[in-house]
Amino acid sequence: MSCCLSPQEQMLQNQIEGRENKHRSEAGHVRAFKILDRVQTLTPKVDVERGKYFTESMRQTEGQALVLRWAKAMKNVAEKISVYIDDDQLLVGRAGSQGRYGILYPELDGDFLDLAIQELDKREVSPFVIDPSDAKVIMEEIAPYWKGKTFHEDLAVALPEDTLKLTYYPDNVLLSRFIVNETASFRSSLQWVLDFEKVLKRGFKGLKEEAQEKLAALDPYSPVGNCEKRPFLEAVVTVCDAVTIWANRHAALAAEMAAKETDPVRKQELARIAETCAWVPENPARNFYEAMQSQWFVQMFSRIEQKTGTIISNGRMDQYMYPFYKADIEAGVLTEDEAIELFECMWVGMAQFIDLYISPTGGAFNEGYAHWEAVTVGGQTRDGRDATNDLTYLLLRSKREFPLHYPDLAARIHARAPKRYLWEVAETIKEGSGFPKLINDEEIIPLHLSKGATFEEINDYAVSGCAEIRMPNRDTYTSCCAYINYAAALEMALYNGRMLKYGDELIGLETGDPMKFTDWEQFWNAYLAQQLNFIKHAFIQQHNIIRLRAEHFAMPMGSAMHDLCMKNCVDIHTPQIEGGINLGYFECIGYGTVIDSLAAIKKLVFEEKKVGMGELIEALRTNFEGKEDLRALLRNSPCYGNNDSYPDTIAHAIDKASLEFTKKYSQELGVHLDLRYVPFTSHVPFGRVVSATPNGRLAWTALSDGSSASHGADINGPTAILLSNYASKNYDYRERAARLLNVKFTPHCVEGDEGTAKLVSFIKTWCDLKLWHIQFNIINKETLLAAQREPDKYRNLIVRIAGYSAYFCDLSKDLQDDLIARTGHDTM
Amino acid sequence: MAPAAPQAFRPRPAVAAGAFDTRNRLHKEKTLPTLPDTKQKGLVFNIQKYSVHDGPGIRTIIFLKGCSLRCDWCSNPESQALHRQLAYNPQKCLGVDACKRCLDVCPHKAISVGEDRKVVVDFTRCDNCLQCAEACPADALNVYGYEVSVEQALARVEEDDIFYSRSGGGLTLSGGEPLYQSEFALALLREARKRRINTCIETCGNVPWEVLKEAGRYLDSVFYDVKSADSARHARVTGTGNERILENLRKLREAYPGLAITVRTPVIPGVNDDEASIGAIADFVCTLPGATYELLAYHRMGTPKYGYIGRTYPLEGVGNLPEGRIEELRAVAKARAECCQAAN
Repeated sequence: MSCCLSPQEQMLQNQIEGRENKHRSEAGHVRAFKILDRVQTLTPKVDVERGKYFTESMRQTEGQALVLRWAKAMKNVAEKISVYIDDDQLLVGRAGSQGRYGILYPELDGDFLDLAIQELDKREVSPFVIDPSDAKVIMEEIAPYWKGKTFHEDLAVALPEDTLKLTYYPDNVLLSRFIVNETASFRSSLQWVLDFEKVLKRGFKGLKEEAQEKLAALDPYSPVGNCEKRPFLEAVVTVCDAVTIWANRHAALAAEMAAKETDPVRKQELARIAETCAWVPENPARNFYEAMQSQWFVQMFSRIEQKTGTIISNGRMDQYMYPFYKADIEAGVLTEDEAIELFECMWVGMAQFIDLYISPTGGAFNEGYAHWEAVTVGGQTRDGRDATNDLTYLLLRSKREFPLHYPDLAARIHARAPKRYLWEVAETIKEGSGFPKLINDEEIIPLHLSKGATFEEINDYAVSGCAEIRMPNRDTYTSCCAYINYAAALEMALYNGRMLKYGDELIGLETGDPMKFTDWEQFWNAYLAQQLNFIKHAFIQQHNIIRLRAEHFAMPMGSAMHDLCMKNCVDIHTPQIEGGINLGYFECIGYGTVIDSLAAIKKLVFEEKKVGMGELIEALRTNFEGKEDLRALLRNSPCYGNNDSYPDTIAHAIDKASLEFTKKYSQELGVHLDLRYVPFTSHVPFGRVVSATPNGRLAWTALSDGSSASHGADINGPTAILLSNYASKNYDYRERAARLLNVKFTPHCVEGDEGTAKLVSFIKTWCDLKLWHIQFNIINKETLLAAQREPDKYRNLIVRIAGYSAYFCDLSKDLQDDLIARTGHDTM
Repeated sequence: MAPAAPQAFRPRPAVAAGAFDTRNRLHKEKTLPTLPDTKQKGLVFNIQKYSVHDGPGIRTIIFLKGCSLRCDWCSNPESQALHRQLAYNPQKCLGVDACKRCLDVCPHKAISVGEDRKVVVDFTRCDNCLQCAEACPADALNVYGYEVSVEQALARVEEDDIFYSRSGGGLTLSGGEPLYQSEFALALLREARKRRINTCIETCGNVPWEVLKEAGRYLDSVFYDVKSADSARHARVTGTGNERILENLRKLREAYPGLAITVRTPVIPGVNDDEASIGAIADFVCTLPGATYELLAYHRMGTPKYGYIGRTYPLEGVGNLPEGRIEELRAVAKARAECCQAAN
């Protein structure tokens, strides 16, 4: 699955393909298919209970330490929220009503929740339904309390005027301008991974005891001890109780249902659920089933605790689950199919929780019910050996056999990854949905060593969210970061600090009238000034965000599971935690768009003088109306993604200028605020504010995504895409963060064992090149049909026939049809 | 040995005599001073990265212009002529309401406006001056063929070196008949070998033995086309008999026992899609120790390119092989191979 395609779209595509699944009737999968069939077509519902009981408690605890208030609110929710046990499910624990559902986080959006909620079912993308009586609860109980209390209200007031106008519409701070966009106000935390293993091994009882011991050991005269550490430790005790209470309520319900159940098989299952929930997560897990249930309670409760960007990730499941799996398999009390069944019970549970975004900006960033609850497989052990085990293969198998886009699966790749692992990863990718995405140890490990990690910490990293990584006990930075529209910087260089979308208003810098520029250097400097101005304001935003977030958000359970929080007795949202590494980022949106535009200007305007600057700007203003020939000329000039040093040199320089800035100013923030290229779906809304660009892109259309080439601009095949990516990176800087890279293949390209072998060697080369991330789209029939309808977007789609190859869009209609028919056979 | 003279071919649409200097053909008298390999120049029409179907691993294919056969089913018609030539893809034309650049520059009035407001090229008037292609912003008017040196071509090939290391891939020469520009092709192969690049060639075998013999010294693997074991039929559909092709193949096997040879037959409806034809070729392959044999199913994917260069497709109206036919013929070939292995 691509980060940049909506999962919903992918699901629809699979249905159109009619990929009837032979695995439906197999022992390991029957149960999960049964549950999935029941829920997958339901429109998500808004469940208000979390928002209601959270607010109820927060109303009563004003004036106390925030982390303690949060823990008390969690306890209130745990005691009162409805608990459910779904038919056929073996794992229990939901944050809301049955079917697909989303829950409310009024601490983020309570002040406008009453207005927004009325629009939810009318949304074109990601609609939700809400019960009228629940809407009433929002209007009367939840929203009124939060007015004037939310983070985003404080932030809007705190931002300096120059920063504000790049961030929001000055007259409506709920609406982003998508220029220097902050993302901290629509989620409480960056994407995050918890140390699940800690709970599996020690239970919340163990964490609670640790907090109690620390409480007993506090210096009774210390003001910090009394005012900061004590409330934190009390919060840990309270939240450990909260999770236990919640689990026990499930145990009680299961026991009650078991008593009434007439089907002997289900009766037994319910009895086991009751027994399990009475034991975990309070106590250490004793077997695989308990470990799975314990993990599930933790991840669901973490979703109740706060809205983490792109949902809490699952960490290295093949590692921390393995000892339980191995022991049970060896004892003969668990089969592979039973393990698969439990995993898939978890996947269908995940699929029912929908990350509900209320704010319009949040919605635009996460079109189509986005979710990235990454499960990491493979990689290395803490002492640097290959970490692959039987569970790694089981998780890959589940992804191949159970056609669900949950969970997001991430495979770590390193230089010594075993052949079987690479082979199975490639085979899984070939299934067609693009899972797993790949993350490169050879880039990540040395880079994070240079940022201060130890070998054992970084060897044990987990993939988190879209393409990021976390060291669950070392990472301490939770402030969500700025998304910068580099294409808007380019537009401002063309229009002297203004954008067509926003009329005459001066938003950026006045860098001069480009018509008066006599050489390329002048234009480049104007662009660079705009780019640096954006980064400057992103850092100003972040400075305010870091300061304000700690006053608004707390994460007691997450903190209880973090070594450094427990050691220092502080909540994870505290701006600086001793011993932590603060890994943040700022995001470059529209990289390919800007590179190609600058290359076209450099070559056609200044070097070859084939196009006048006036002629160019006139054509851009009118969105190339009547200037199709000029547009074609621009589109055919050198583009990033082709291993062509002309655009790649510009790419390298843009990257470098950004890195230089953060190298200089990141320290002031106490954060590695590093350059990242991972857009979610945001390159679409960011494109909506940018008029036509000199690479021939039409006004208001999507920008290029991540570090990928502009749509259809990479016409030299996949090796050139990797090499351009490599060429544009500055390996002499440590200020780089994740780069997302999408690569498309036709099924024919990877057909059969030979195709798998070649995909494996492609992946190994990607690993050699130390690129951060890659994901593959194996293009099928549906895409070829789309290419027929919109050839402009698919200019680079190569179709192979032995001894001959062609660009799909160069073929005539009937030959395309011929090929579509053939590719239908190829579809994997 | 005499080169395959163009006159020996069946009449085909005339192609203008080349502006390209053919001095670097081995069989021509060496009246000019010999250049170092890296400086040798040749005419190619494509350098294609990430080829995964033509030889081991991830490869780069250099497509050379020029061919000594004229197969009816040729899927690279732009490869046949040994000169740069104009191509026109109307699907990419912006239409004269948006752009008239080509109309303005053509000195021969070879370009006019069609009913759909896109341009039409009269190839009988065109002398491949290529000014229109230079002017076209949309790449609708394009050129097949450009001159590169061995140095330049191998620089492109070596860009993907890191992919070859991992996959066991390398360079494949294709065409056209890559050995038609023999001196250039041999210089490419020699230099590639020197640079430790894995080398492969796709050849029709219809070249002087000396050329093939020399090439074999620098090759790791060969795809060798045999279209028909019947010389008369071979001549009817390719313009040339098969004697030299079969003879060369036999000699190649003898001269280079370690060379990986894959014999390929494009299975063309009405030409060789019968069991007897395939069986006969398979029997011949059996006489070549270690050679493997594979069948490629006929496809029409090259058809548009005939239009682009102003030609009509010789096999217009011929459909694909019936479903399952290629598998049946593969079974025939396999049975023959097993039979002859048993006999040996």
